[in-house]
Amino acid sequence: MQRAYISKLMELAEADERVLHLVADSGTGFDEMFRRNFPGRMLNFGIAEEHMTAVAAGLATAGKVPFVYTAGAFLAYRSLEFIRDDICFQNLNVKIVGMGSGLAWSSLGPSHHTTEDIAVLRALPNLRILSPATPLQVAACVEEAHSCTGPVYIRIGMNNEKEFFEDGYRLPDSGQDALRGDKGAASGKRVVVFCTGSILEDVMGAADILEEAGIAATVVNVARIKPFDGDNLLRYAENADMLVTVEEHNIYGGLGGIAAEVLAGHGAGKRLFRIGLNDVFAEGYGKSQETVREANHLDALSIARAVERECL
Amino acid sequence: MRDSDVNVCRELRKQIYLTAERGGLGHLASCYSCLEILYALYVKGILNCTRDNLKSPDRDRLILSKGHAGLALYWVMCEAGLLDAEEIKTFLQRGSHVGGEPCMRDLPGIEASTGSLGHGLSMGVGMAIAQKMDGTDARTFVIIGDGECEEGTIWEAALSAPAFRLNNLVVILDCNEIQKMTSVAETIAHTNWAEKWQSFGWLVKEADGHDPEALEALFRERNDTDRPLLIIAHTIKGKGVSIMENNPIWHFKLPNRKEKKIFQAELGISDEEMI
Repeated sequence: MQRAYISKLMELAEADERVLHLVADSGTGFDEMFRRNFPGRMLNFGIAEEHMTAVAAGLATAGKVPFVYTAGAFLAYRSLEFIRDDICFQNLNVKIVGMGSGLAWSSLGPSHHTTEDIAVLRALPNLRILSPATPLQVAACVEEAHSCTGPVYIRIGMNNEKEFFEDGYRLPDSGQDALRGDKGAASGKRVVVFCTGSILEDVMGAADILEEAGIAATVVNVARIKPFDGDNLLRYAENADMLVTVEEHNIYGGLGGIAAEVLAGHGAGKRLFRIGLNDVFAEGYGKSQETVREANHLDALSIARAVERECL
Repeated sequence: MRDSDVNVCRELRKQIYLTAERGGLGHLASCYSCLEILYALYVKGILNCTRDNLKSPDRDRLILSKGHAGLALYWVMCEAGLLDAEEIKTFLQRGSHVGGEPCMRDLPGIEASTGSLGHGLSMGVGMAIAQKMDGTDARTFVIIGDGECEEGTIWEAALSAPAFRLNNLVVILDCNEIQKMTSVAETIAHTNWAEKWQSFGWLVKEADGHDPEALEALFRERNDTDRPLLIIAHTIKGKGVSIMENNPIWHFKLPNRKEKKIFQAELGISDEEMI
């Protein structure tokens, strides 16, 4: 996703000279490409995320379009008040891009995880929140962030996430994509699984396992967390016995919390099963994100087994 | 100091007090500390702001990072013809959008919404970088407090600004040596600001923060270096009313009946004007 992000940002920077790339000692080889192509438009503030966030607000008051880019945890938590007061309250055109979201910093533990960011940032007025699952969806989200005026937070992963979309993909109006319809399984049980972020790959795997076990599973990927299209969720929920949410996030305040608000707000009376971190910090370490997902029961098999148990 | 400056600043102090008294709350001491700094910037023609150029990329910017002094900013902007007195007088009244901290949503010409300390300088760095990018000669001025220098982001910004060679950035340190509870020196022990900022790569100058002419002269000096400028303005918290001066209890307090007599006498308020 990082490569997809910088590629898209360079495309935007080529067409729009207001676009700036802000980093806090957080650049990689991809960012050096940006620096080479757009000298003077990549600004490095050193290890000072709060400062960088407030500087972005100052730049935006002068008509620039700053994209602030560093590890999501250092933005959503460390820089929270600066996002709130300087960007959201002043309603400025700043794009906040947190990378390594969810459990993507698999070797470093909770200090680098971003598993409460949606809960924290969703409460901020004026802020649009995008949570892409794949590289092509990152490009579509960056496009949307640029095309709307105002604060946007995009949570992206690392690199080499599995692609589920086709070239030329654009975010649908709902911000949600049904990726896998249910195939009408034998037992008659039907679930619809809403998920966000790169955990989509495990959710797709889980749906296959469920199908084999006789539970029909539809998968809907949510890229736009806020504003959230609740009507779309309700349409899918209507045809299912149970709505499941899966996220690399606390089950409080994230996608599961949103689904609960939508269902209860509409008196839908539908069973909701939330899968994520159950109000804990993630356990375990690994070279790959998948290892940490397994340690926290967020891999395809664990997700499938949990849904099966709930369906009994 | 010119008599005319003294008289106008005394009148502004009076209006600030009466507005706070009418609203029922106010950070008077902070307002009186930085009043002459704001006056020199807006009324002495340092800032090129007019009602017509409030959106122009060529305008100078002023950020009041120590937002508690909002009422001083409003009244000085009024004196400079940028805000209407009648609007400011609605301060804290039902239905009013004039509150205690500067807010760009609520009033024209406010360059940044402040209130939480340690935000304004970084936003000012962003504005100064944008001014450089746009090739204008305009400058960005940021007023910070010495108590505010206890915030970590002040030092993130202090480290960062020289790296961008922001000689169009002027920071005025309203150095009144007092914060809410006690003196700054008692709180952090080492208040050697000149040495600290110089060591971070800033050009540092000092002035009497209640002398508009001295401040004006410093603001007009060309900065031929590639460094941002810090002006340490030595001020008195609560300046202008003897019982308020240098006493932390006045941080967020209005006078009682007995103290009002002193305010009235020292600020030249008539019986009819008193609230």
